Amino acid sequence: MWTVFKLQWLRLFKQPVLMVTFLGLTLLFVYFLAGAQGTQTISVPTYSEELTSEELNEWIDRLNEEETFLFVESDYETVYDNIRMNETAFALGLTQENYEFLIGREDMEISTLIQYVDQIFVTEMRLQGVETDFGLTGLEVTEFIEIETRSHAAAVSSGDRYRLGIVVGMSLYFSVFSILFLMINLVEEKQTGTWNRLIFSPLTKTKIYLGQLTHYLLAGMIQIGLAFLILRVLVGIDLGTNYLEMGVIIFSFVFAIVSLGMLLMGIVNTPQQLQVVIPIVTTSMAMLGGAFWPLEVVTNRLLLFLGDLMPIKYGMEAMVDTIVHDHTLSQLIVPLSALILMGILFMGVGINLMERVSDN
Amino acid sequence: MLETKDLTKVFKKTTAVNQVNIYLEKGESVGLLGPNGAGKSTTISMISTLLPPTSGEVRFNGEDALKHSQRLRKVMGVVPQEIALYEELSAYENMRFFGKVYGLRGKELETRVQDVLELIGLTDRKKDAINTYSGGMKRRINIGVTLLHEPEILIMDEPTVGIDPQSRNYILDMIRTLNREKDITVLYTSHYMEEVEKLCDRVYIMDHGEIIASGTNEELKSILSNEETIQIHVHTLSPAFRDTLSKHGSVRKVTEEGQGYKVIAPKGEDLLGEVFELAKQTKTKITGVAIQTPTLEDVFLHLTGRTLRD
Repeated sequence: MWTVFKLQWLRLFKQPVLMVTFLGLTLLFVYFLAGAQGTQTISVPTYSEELTSEELNEWIDRLNEEETFLFVESDYETVYDNIRMNETAFALGLTQENYEFLIGREDMEISTLIQYVDQIFVTEMRLQGVETDFGLTGLEVTEFIEIETRSHAAAVSSGDRYRLGIVVGMSLYFSVFSILFLMINLVEEKQTGTWNRLIFSPLTKTKIYLGQLTHYLLAGMIQIGLAFLILRVLVGIDLGTNYLEMGVIIFSFVFAIVSLGMLLMGIVNTPQQLQVVIPIVTTSMAMLGGAFWPLEVVTNRLLLFLGDLMPIKYGMEAMVDTIVHDHTLSQLIVPLSALILMGILFMGVGINLMERVSDN
Repeated sequence: MLETKDLTKVFKKTTAVNQVNIYLEKGESVGLLGPNGAGKSTTISMISTLLPPTSGEVRFNGEDALKHSQRLRKVMGVVPQEIALYEELSAYENMRFFGKVYGLRGKELETRVQDVLELIGLTDRKKDAINTYSGGMKRRINIGVTLLHEPEILIMDEPTVGIDPQSRNYILDMIRTLNREKDITVLYTSHYMEEVEKLCDRVYIMDHGEIIASGTNEELKSILSNEETIQIHVHTLSPAFRDTLSKHGSVRKVTEEGQGYKVIAPKGEDLLGEVFELAKQTKTKITGVAIQTPTLEDVFLHLTGRTLRD
């Protein structure tokens, strides 16, 4: 088994273009779609036609106490022009006792922003009311109830969650590509006759299959692990510290994908046909499984049902739950079981089909 | 040493191999001769335990080889028809891998690899990737990886397909040396009768999945002992001449071959004079006539009415 396993690595080192390309594509897509903006704070142009510059800056300082948004002083004309030219999505206007938003286009951050500004404004208005009523100055808010947040969930905005979905989805999507394309080697071996040459040898079929499949499994795990590592170190994307859970999820996901590869190779048995089938299957799976957009936006029941059959959905679900909600292995039992079950089913049917083809 | 009993393989409704009985004694070189599609490769696949037969059995030293396949596989080397190698890897890397597959390790592996590379004449190119090799070199390394574990039985499925005459001779000489000097039992399939004639002590002739004749070269040729082959070369091929020849009472068979016709006729018939007469009648210009001793090709033609390359 190890002889076959080591040979596959030697072949990969001789021709690493495929794996390197897909790893590069993962990093590229994640960087441009999510990573580059991943840690940025959202800038909010803030103006006032009633307040003095000093009063406006006092409000801006107060609003900037939290780091989620960056409120930047501006004036109405500039803000209006920028919104009209679609250079800014929204802006905050302050008056003596109220505030307003200028909104040029829908943006997923607006609801969070409105909630945030409302909370600050209500608190400040109440403080001012108490100071006026009781003739006091310099009042401060003391929190009597402190809530300890045990996960990132509360701190993660909808935008962050969307970006995390992209990071995980794209990494898994491209890893599926490289695993399945790498597995074409197995079909090529059957075509060139090296597979038969191994069958003639004293090696058992089980050892030959194990040597091959362990290689694909490990190669897939390394690709995802490497992508996450690079994204974390170079792009600064926070993927949590639950290494054991992430390792188990990656293993289960790659196992399901390698098994899916075996199933595809049992059905389609020439490299040329596989080169057509793999992109179709991979992209459909990613779309249905929610790697390209959140499944929350899908309402069609059939599409949701099909999504339930896609390994990528469970892989993403488990990873996001671990990163955002710190889910432990026992809490991940449903997606992990789904992946393992799919893996066993695909592998069983796939090997049977492959053996039937070779017997004929 | 190795024998088959009523070996049969049916694919859906097609019988590819039908009740084939073959035996190989230790140190023998046996040929399996037949045209493309005769069932040679399927027979070899069953003998080498790659393909389970529909019925019949393969026995190795008296034991059921299909039930105890590991015993046969350890002492058998199979050279497939295709170049079954990892082309992106070098000859040396391929050899080390296949040597390890047969349980060779360390110094023994290294020595065997060097010995085989020398035998096949590729020591100088051992570090080059297979995909940079010529067709003949690929064929040599294809055989070489099979010799690493010093097999007792060598099964070769058309190992010289598509290569130049020089490489073919190199390979045939190598196989003959292995058979005669190392006492390796060889089962050699081909549709080139010259190769089989040159290499093999005994020959099985196969057609449409069945063994239609067997014996030593001389035994097979004696089938045609009462016949002779006349090779007639003509200036321009003439269907009328061919038809007239076919209808002649003393002619057994006429086939077109190159720029002429091959005529099989009973020995002793004075046919030559009549051949010239028939040529004159059909306005065919004869450029040469040769009377040949029979070959295995003629035997096959006699038995099936077709040439090996049909």
